[in-house]
Amino acid sequence: MDQYWSVTQQLLAGFGENCLLFGVTLLFALPLGLLISLGSMSRFKPLKAVCRVFVWIIRGTPLMLQLFVVYYIPPLLSDGSFKFSDRMTAAMIAFIINYAAYFSEIYRGGIEAIPRGQYEAGYVLGMTKSQIFFKVVLLQVVKRIIPPMSNEIITLVKDTSLARVIAVGEILKNAEQFTKQGLIWPIFYTGAFFLLFCGVLTLLFRFIERKLDYYKG
Amino acid sequence: MAFLEVKNIKKSFGKTLVLKDISFTLEKGEVLAIIGSSGSGKTTLLRCINFLETPQKGVISVNGSVLFDDADSSKKKDAEIRKNRLHFGMVFQQFNLFPQYTVFENLILAPKLLAKEKIEQNGEFLGAKSYKEAVESIKTYAEQLLENVGLSEKRDEYPCNLSGGQQQRVAIARALALKPDILCFDEPTSALDPELTGEVLNVIKSLKSSESTMIVVTHEISFARDVADKIIFMADGVIEEEGTPQQVIENPQSPRTQAFLSRFNQYSD
Repeated sequence: MDQYWSVTQQLLAGFGENCLLFGVTLLFALPLGLLISLGSMSRFKPLKAVCRVFVWIIRGTPLMLQLFVVYYIPPLLSDGSFKFSDRMTAAMIAFIINYAAYFSEIYRGGIEAIPRGQYEAGYVLGMTKSQIFFKVVLLQVVKRIIPPMSNEIITLVKDTSLARVIAVGEILKNAEQFTKQGLIWPIFYTGAFFLLFCGVLTLLFRFIERKLDYYKG
Repeated sequence: MAFLEVKNIKKSFGKTLVLKDISFTLEKGEVLAIIGSSGSGKTTLLRCINFLETPQKGVISVNGSVLFDDADSSKKKDAEIRKNRLHFGMVFQQFNLFPQYTVFENLILAPKLLAKEKIEQNGEFLGAKSYKEAVESIKTYAEQLLENVGLSEKRDEYPCNLSGGQQQRVAIARALALKPDILCFDEPTSALDPELTGEVLNVIKSLKSSESTMIVVTHEISFARDVADKIIFMADGVIEEEGTPQQVIENPQSPRTQAFLSRFNQYSD
């Protein structure tokens, strides 16, 4: 029993890192993704091209590779004069960039799905562009993107364990430590933490979807 | 000088010339019906009048003031276009109600935003001195409009719970809430089941008065004949024929008008 509690404590400490990475990624990638999506829909061609190429590169390469790039390339380029003092910072940067790219495509899909007629109805009623965006379009976009967003956010929970590849002390890394003591079950035990966390998120998203269910269209 | 003057409007999309030199006038209190085959430019003309499209050439003026003139090379600011648009109300084929707002909220959203802006700028909106006062009169007027279109009891419903005909009647009330000088209808019954067109047409008919000026793009020829003071028949981006309903519908002179109307008569009794 004592062993069980000490393992749980160790894993919980690791999972705290996963949660930190999750929270910080969401906090920065959600707004950054919106900026990228606006850029990729811009009428200013160079900006649009830059945003689309960025999204292509980020979505076209593995997140694990991106973690290596963010962590190892700056020291290599600077001949070792720059080094991440904290591995977690490198992981956060890689995750924010990666998830911003995915989120931007979700936003783009949501914004482009709003019929032209909604904007035109706003225009003929004398509304400004920003009034139309905030008062008419925004909530409709939110309603449309909740299902794909919840999918992506749940994927993010589990992706945080990839930070292990640059030796961030997250839950799976901690679980692996126990194998040295001949304990294999902590590795499988980590699944419970992820399941619990994703279960709470699922309920939360279902709640939001229900909240927005008062209208159709 | 006529209330609405549209002169020499030309509009093309890419290489396709959609409107080739359209001119017409409309007096206050008149109802104009624009008829013609699909693709003849009726809707584009209406969208140019509402500044949803910018014509390459032409002049549009209301009540003597020029709202659009291609000769005026200075690029119109958004604020100016918005101000010009307020002379016109627009009812769309697809209703375009805001789905997340109730019927009543759909009516008062834009007037409230406008009232707030005007009171901040000039300290006044349609006689109201404070925002609160303005909102009260906007709400009273909205209630009255809903009664006029026969939907008072649907006040707190969401658009998705209304039939197409009811949605379109709400859209008409919403367009009237800003008290436009000229109300435009873009094929208001084309997206409706035949049994629902009657209720919408009756509402439009009931709006006819010496004060209300309307432009209706429609395929409902008998409606146009009954309600319009003036009919324009468009074909291939030009006004092929115009005049009173008696002239254009009962006694068309142009062979194209005759052909169009005979196709229509074929299927009606």
